[in-house]
Amino acid sequence: MILVVLEHDGQRLRKGALEAITRARQLNAIAGSVAGVLIGENLAAVAEEAKRYVQALYLAEVGPYTAEGWAAAAYAAQQKAGAQVVVATGSRQGRSWTPRLAYRMGAALLEDTLETGTDGAKVIATRYSFLNRVTEKQSAALPVVFTVKPNTTPLAEPLGSEGTVETLSVELPAVGVEVMERVVEQKKGVSLAEATIVVTGGRGLGSPQAFAQVEELADLLGGAVGATRAVVDAGWRPYGEQVGQTGKTVQPNVYIALAVSGAVQHQAGMNKSKYIAAVNKDPEAPIFKVADYGVVGDVHQVLPALIEAAKKLKD
Amino acid sequence: MKFIAVIRQVPDNEAKLRIEGGRVNYEGATLILDQMDEWGVEEVIRLKEQYGGEAVIVALGPERFEEAIRTALAMGADRGVHLVTEASLDPITQAQALADTLRDEAPTLVFTGGQQSDWDSQALGPAIAEALGWPVVTWTTSLELEGQGAYAKAKHDLDEGAEVVRVALPAVFTTQQGLNEPRYPTLPGIMKAKKKEIRKVPIAFEGKVETLEQTIQERRRLNKVIDGTKDPVAAADELVRLLHEEAKVI
Amino acid sequence: MAIDFSLTDEQKQLQALARRFAREQIAPVAGEYDRKEEVPWPVIEKLFEVGLLNAIIPEEYGGLGLSMLEEVIIGEELAWGCMGIYTIPMASDLGITPVLLAGSHEQKSRFFGQLTEKPALAAFALSEPGNGSDAAALRTRAVRDGDHYILNGTKTWISNGGEAEWVVVFATVNPEARHKGVVALVVEKGTPGFKANKLHGKMGQRASGTYELVFEDVRVPAANLLGAEGDGFKIAMNTLDKTRIPVAAGSVGVARRALDEATKYAREREAFGKPIAEFQAIQFKLAEMLMGIETARAYTYYAAWLTDRGLPQAHAAAIAKAYASEMAFAAANQAIQIHGGYGYMHEYPVEKLLRDVKLNQIYEGTNEIQRLIIARHILKG
Repeated sequence: MILVVLEHDGQRLRKGALEAITRARQLNAIAGSVAGVLIGENLAAVAEEAKRYVQALYLAEVGPYTAEGWAAAAYAAQQKAGAQVVVATGSRQGRSWTPRLAYRMGAALLEDTLETGTDGAKVIATRYSFLNRVTEKQSAALPVVFTVKPNTTPLAEPLGSEGTVETLSVELPAVGVEVMERVVEQKKGVSLAEATIVVTGGRGLGSPQAFAQVEELADLLGGAVGATRAVVDAGWRPYGEQVGQTGKTVQPNVYIALAVSGAVQHQAGMNKSKYIAAVNKDPEAPIFKVADYGVVGDVHQVLPALIEAAKKLKD
Repeated sequence: MKFIAVIRQVPDNEAKLRIEGGRVNYEGATLILDQMDEWGVEEVIRLKEQYGGEAVIVALGPERFEEAIRTALAMGADRGVHLVTEASLDPITQAQALADTLRDEAPTLVFTGGQQSDWDSQALGPAIAEALGWPVVTWTTSLELEGQGAYAKAKHDLDEGAEVVRVALPAVFTTQQGLNEPRYPTLPGIMKAKKKEIRKVPIAFEGKVETLEQTIQERRRLNKVIDGTKDPVAAADELVRLLHEEAKVI
Repeated sequence: MAIDFSLTDEQKQLQALARRFAREQIAPVAGEYDRKEEVPWPVIEKLFEVGLLNAIIPEEYGGLGLSMLEEVIIGEELAWGCMGIYTIPMASDLGITPVLLAGSHEQKSRFFGQLTEKPALAAFALSEPGNGSDAAALRTRAVRDGDHYILNGTKTWISNGGEAEWVVVFATVNPEARHKGVVALVVEKGTPGFKANKLHGKMGQRASGTYELVFEDVRVPAANLLGAEGDGFKIAMNTLDKTRIPVAAGSVGVARRALDEATKYAREREAFGKPIAEFQAIQFKLAEMLMGIETARAYTYYAAWLTDRGLPQAHAAAIAKAYASEMAFAAANQAIQIHGGYGYMHEYPVEKLLRDVKLNQIYEGTNEIQRLIIARHILKG
């Protein structure tokens, strides 16, 4: 059995879960059937959907997310299923609990993989390293835990049959982390991870008010708004919009960087974009090295003009 | 109290990477203390200055990692422990190798980088936490001790948003940008660091992951530059035209 | 195995610190201070915090007692960021050196003490409107009056002159005696009659404050005399023999920056279907720049090595200073050429390199004076 830990939002499976299932099915040289585990609370609704994608489905009602809880539940499922490979989504959360699982299993961990396959009894994977500049091919003997980089894999189709459903009892470790306050950002507009167009603003925009124009341009183009870490730290934009090594990685058809200097850490989050356009007043800014189209100029004059041009294009 | 920062040495981010024989070649590259680990070093020094005790640097890697340990000592940490191996080990194996040393040191907390810029891995912190049976808070942006070091109150990033948590110590924390502003190693610090202790512990572990090949696919960019200083409107129009007609992405 | 070209671990760390400081704290602001012709106190304060300011003050007086080699390592790195900004700590060391060479223990404690508690600068005042190279012809007059000297005269081209806590002023008690009549007096900021007028309109190194100093009946305590009457000229010359070496290091830093910028540009700029770095004409220029940098650096290290060992080094310092400044000027010139039209614009960093490093051929003893020193060395034996 290959075990997939299925990410969900309480109602439906997330896209990442369907990508993970595809990857699990690709490993049929190692095991012919795929089991899934749902972890969290009030799982009945999601289970209805999930059981159509796997041969066996486990339910672990452990309450709200904790890394220890998720690792414990995944371990219980792995043990029950006798799975030698566990697949999960490479979200920040996923990348936070999967190492705990791998450690407990004594397993090899392959992180944020682009592609996975088999070579004899080994799992091979492709992933990025060196701030997304290097592509590396890795191999590991079983047991293996790997995470799937979001938006790399086709979404799985339902099997046409329903898997068996079993409730797991999980011995929860004493969790030393108490959540005191949670600031969950409301996602407005197109989500960064799925966007085909991203318009990012940097500190050079000067103020949070200037971002209204960034939003306007993104809206007109049907894209998502991104931000640099400096902008997020300044409190101008929410964390969820940060693109970069310490934020999100995006791969849109076009990435438009406005008043972004383009440090390597930021580039790591967007250098796989199909096209990159940049506006910056400093002709020496590193962003111009990776831009297909660069405008050297004052963003406060160019951005309104871009909005007008985009409006004209729409008509 | 004892505060530990686990660090790694990586090639300077700004430098151009070279591939030779299917592997990234470090020859001639400037090697530095990883920036994300640097936030951890700054934090443990700050904690020591505020609460008293020791700031200890722990590193697992080849001999050359010693330079990075000295840099951390020059910043103000008190001593170092260097687990020496020339083998390239994955984070899970490294956590296994570090477990005994960290347990023996019995620190109040352990910091490590949220993600290091050579292996792009986020796993070391959580794996260490599992090895020690401790909680872990990833992507930490602020930290305060409470109850004489029995607890810590920390803020950290989530996928969407942030969270303030209270953690029972000892615990593992991984860093996020914004945690602090690392100080420069000062000249006097560099001179004092020469005399600080680095305990060397040779280790022999076999990794679980083998790297078969590394390649760089540098995307060849068009690098078209439009002058927007004299006529920003014309430049904007041109950009939109290019994106629409040439790149066909809008 | 006597010769060893490697740096110790500590020296490597020093170099890494200075390199990072230059990249993060100096290079990003250098253009702005150059444009405004303004002294970058925020950078000076950070240099102090990090321990890179006035580091040649011996440990017993609260400094770090850095060797000449270490100064050279730091100098190249900081000058890579900006030669103008590097001239500020370099000129402060120039003011410190006479006190180091000729001051009494009491004087060292007193004067160095003012430089170690907070970010502060020293200065060295030898040149006058009427004489630069002809130093022995100086006219600033010092007349003994009880336990003071009364100072009258004007100095010019004095780096840090208006910013310094104190300035070492070379004056004469007896103009007829030429160099035998010279005294070195430490004049403290704020002494009545002492005025500093900032000189504006410099071609380059505009972040460094250059001043005309005017002395009108300035009463300087005799306790501020370094050495004895008549020692002044020798003190000045011995000082310059040492301080020209960091100038050489600075030139190497500027040349290296020129090469870095030119290489970056040549890789990206395309003409006739390929990056211009693939054309021989450009490659020859880059190669010649490196030839100059490597030889100047190696020789500057040698001059520093001689200095640190107390061996005769005046000729070596002169060779290093003259050679490095000339190769750096050539390198900056070629860097502009490689950039073509863009090299002529101040949006690009290379034109500033030429403007800055030209001064390295003039100050701390013109390159013509350096040649005299070298020739003297050849002909004396």
